[in-house]
Amino acid sequence: MARKKEEKDKLYLSDKPPLTLFGKIGIFLSYVILFAWVYAIIWPLFQMFVSAFNGKQQQYIMANSNFEFSVRHFQYLFTETLYLTWVKNTLIIAGTTAILTLIVVSFTGYAYSRYRFKGRKASLMAILLIQTIPTFAGITAYFTMHSIISAIIPQFTRQMMLILIYTGGSIASNTFILKGYIDSVSTELDDAARIDGCSNFNVYRLIIMPIARPMLTIIALWSFIGPFMDYLLAKVLLTNPSSYTLAAGLYTLVTDFRTMNQPAFAAGGLLTAIPIVVLFMALQKQLVSGLTSGSVKG
Amino acid sequence: MGKYNVLLVDSIGNTYERKNKYLLELAVLDEKIKEEKDKKIRNELKKQRKEIKRNKNKHEYIVSLKDFERKEKDFLKALKKESKDYRNALKDEKTSRRVKNLKVKLFESEKKLNFYKDYIDLSYEAEFECEKARLETIHLPNIIEFLTVSQDELRTAKEEKKELKNLDESNLKKEFKEFKKAQKEFLKKEKLRIKKLRKEGLISKKAEENALIELKKKYVNALEIKRRESKKFSNKEFIKSKKYDLKKGLNTMIKVMEADISDFRRKIPIEIEKTIPYYSYLTILIPGLGQGLNKQYMKMLLFLLGSAFIYLIAIPYALGYGNYQGQGIAGLINLAEGGLRIHKSIIFMIEGIVAVFLSIIALAIFVISFIDVNKVEKNAIKGIRPSTWKETKIAISEDGFPYVVSLPALLIIIFIVLVPIMTTFLLSFTNMDPQHQSKFTWIGLSNYKMILTGQGLAGRVFWLILGWTLVWTLVATTLAILIGFILALLVNNERIKAKRFFRTIYLLPWAVPAFITIMFFSIMVAPGGVLTEILNDLTGLRIEIKNNPTLTRIALILMQGWLGSSYIFILTTGVLQAIPGDLYEAADMDGATAWDKVRRITVPLVLFQTAPLLVTQYTFNFNNFSAIFLFNGGGPFNPIKYGNLAGSSDILISYIYKLTMDNQYQAIGAAITMFISIGLMLFTFIGFRNSKQFKEGRL
Repeated sequence: MARKKEEKDKLYLSDKPPLTLFGKIGIFLSYVILFAWVYAIIWPLFQMFVSAFNGKQQQYIMANSNFEFSVRHFQYLFTETLYLTWVKNTLIIAGTTAILTLIVVSFTGYAYSRYRFKGRKASLMAILLIQTIPTFAGITAYFTMHSIISAIIPQFTRQMMLILIYTGGSIASNTFILKGYIDSVSTELDDAARIDGCSNFNVYRLIIMPIARPMLTIIALWSFIGPFMDYLLAKVLLTNPSSYTLAAGLYTLVTDFRTMNQPAFAAGGLLTAIPIVVLFMALQKQLVSGLTSGSVKG
Repeated sequence: MGKYNVLLVDSIGNTYERKNKYLLELAVLDEKIKEEKDKKIRNELKKQRKEIKRNKNKHEYIVSLKDFERKEKDFLKALKKESKDYRNALKDEKTSRRVKNLKVKLFESEKKLNFYKDYIDLSYEAEFECEKARLETIHLPNIIEFLTVSQDELRTAKEEKKELKNLDESNLKKEFKEFKKAQKEFLKKEKLRIKKLRKEGLISKKAEENALIELKKKYVNALEIKRRESKKFSNKEFIKSKKYDLKKGLNTMIKVMEADISDFRRKIPIEIEKTIPYYSYLTILIPGLGQGLNKQYMKMLLFLLGSAFIYLIAIPYALGYGNYQGQGIAGLINLAEGGLRIHKSIIFMIEGIVAVFLSIIALAIFVISFIDVNKVEKNAIKGIRPSTWKETKIAISEDGFPYVVSLPALLIIIFIVLVPIMTTFLLSFTNMDPQHQSKFTWIGLSNYKMILTGQGLAGRVFWLILGWTLVWTLVATTLAILIGFILALLVNNERIKAKRFFRTIYLLPWAVPAFITIMFFSIMVAPGGVLTEILNDLTGLRIEIKNNPTLTRIALILMQGWLGSSYIFILTTGVLQAIPGDLYEAADMDGATAWDKVRRITVPLVLFQTAPLLVTQYTFNFNNFSAIFLFNGGGPFNPIKYGNLAGSSDILISYIYKLTMDNQYQAIGAAITMFISIGLMLFTFIGFRNSKQFKEGRL
């Protein structure tokens, strides 16, 4: 045994050429840079983490204050703010948006990929151009539109308006992405199914949808995460703190002096970020492929 | 005056002789008139034609046709009675209603076949009826037999079920449980065995996975087979499958019959006296009516719904009825001028735009309906039979499919995207500002003029802000791309270990919602914040980032570099991993240095693949409202240089936000929005026109 080990130490087993001194310095520098960036990423996040658990932090997060482990900021978050309501609101808005987007987009993506109908090219071009206009452009109209609709249908809340805006805003780009994905699926499968007597809808349901499921999952995921990330529309459109989404709600903890509590913001931010980060890590591969395949393969 | 053709055409293009001798005579004359050059003879022929038309009712063929029509009427009347009697006679038979209906239909078809076959030479109508009846007499007996046999089987199975109800199968259940247990045990053992094989390295991971899947399948199958031993269970399954069979089989058989009939519909032409498609012109104003005159009743109902939409919703709305406050399209022009105090111009404008869109939809319905009626009529004149609802339904589900399924998307885009954008577009030509909130008027291009010449309260700082916006976009995005790209390259080096660790950490800035990190950065650089204190300790100065325009801008760019690099890193890593290794090996053989390889292989490949996404990164940062607004609210403020409306780190989108939301300069904000949007659209359009998909026409 011992001899074997010795041999292993002596023998150069890798199929890569041995490193020169220059190469060794290069590798060392690479590690330095990589770890420096790791530090640059971890440090601010770590600061947030620490502030959230530091009982000594008062209304403002200050440097130089000592550390004392405490969960009182979390307690504050749950008892003094409407954090749980915001979570609920965001989940409802995000879930509905994801479902609506999925339903609408799955049909348009299929139609644009598989059918050559009149006005297809023109409308695709229109979609492409429309999606470049920021959703924010229509903000003045959204207000008034909501007041008009809610005057006719009193049940129409601002949250519903928000859902519609999110959905409408994501149709164009997602149609493009899904179309690109379905384009890469061979039409031979469809043809075979059609010969066997499948209707158009059944071709979609039985053939295309199972194949496109990864992309549909990604579209659903992105439209679900969207409302968690968006701050602008939520803040502008929602006026009542009990109807806020997470982004708009947490923002009040750092700007509004009446509700100002920065450590509580750090705690809330932490709680919000963790599930999303876990989701991203678990689905990293799919999320990235969703980003690239839409535009690269087209 | 329309002319008749001698031959009839069907939808496939086959030609047929006319059977209507009267029309044939006219058609032959028409042809002669057309070919005749001598005016005199032509007039003579025309006179002859008129004569024939005047004596139409005395024409030999018409007389016999009338005779046939009379007989047909009597026959149908008698048939109705006869089939009623026949149905009554069937009453006592022990079959289901459906079978009885089919039998009555068969009875009718036989009678019809008998009647119409004498008139085949007289008219195509009779020929068609005859063929239809003939096909029905061929198909219906099979269907009836299939139905009776299946229903009988189902009935016996159901009776069996009743008998089985009291059968005690607890023994079997117990047996099954034991069997399941044994199978489970077996499954477990096999699993362990396979895992052991894998551990010893005798099989690959894939083989292990496959073996496990196989095993699971075997287990389930064994259970299913065992379950069939129970009589109750198999009876249940039998009933289920028979029911399904019955439904599917019946549907298919009826479909086949209908398809056969449709075939004849296409092959047997129609002969009508009409020569001008005047229905379509007469009914142009009421979609649905023309379809009714063409005897396509389901289509008529659909288009009547369209009519209802036009006359009950679109037109009244466009005229101002049923508006919330506005006056339809008129409101778009007067913008509530001289209206009541509570009347708001913006509402008038939006309702006007909605009215315009509704009118466009209405117009589209008019056009579609007209084209539809016109086409059917023209075809009928040529000899093509109008399609039945069933055929239309198939046509809609095939050619109309993309339109039907895109409809919800279209509606959402019209009302949620297009109407607001149109509103913004129109607002930019008005004077909506703090003094004109409730009532404003059209002022033409003044807003754009003000922006372009840099005048006025809001326009003064436009160019300043645009300059910073461009700097911000270019520098921040490029920085992020560089950082992300370099890191990806370094991590991808084959000698670097702990790749997974780096990749996980570098994912974080992208995964943590941006608004949280931006707000926290903002907290850290505030006076007394962690970063500020560190900087102060390092430099010994009292640095206040948030009060210094230059420092704020630098901090913003660095922060965006931190935030944006993550996404680029992930993207680039994905591409790098897909680059085939032999490219590098080949380069090694030719003696390329590491730098050469990066420069000539890696960078071009990555750039080529991610270019469109990198472009979107630039447009994203151009509109990156959250970074600017959440970090320092666009500040610090510098009223001397920037006025009261904007701060020194504001970019266009946050400036628009401040104009419209905080200071109510909606019109100027809208003008700047249009400016940005048009710029972005051009940018995208040019970029897209140069892309591969567009050039190859693969859109």
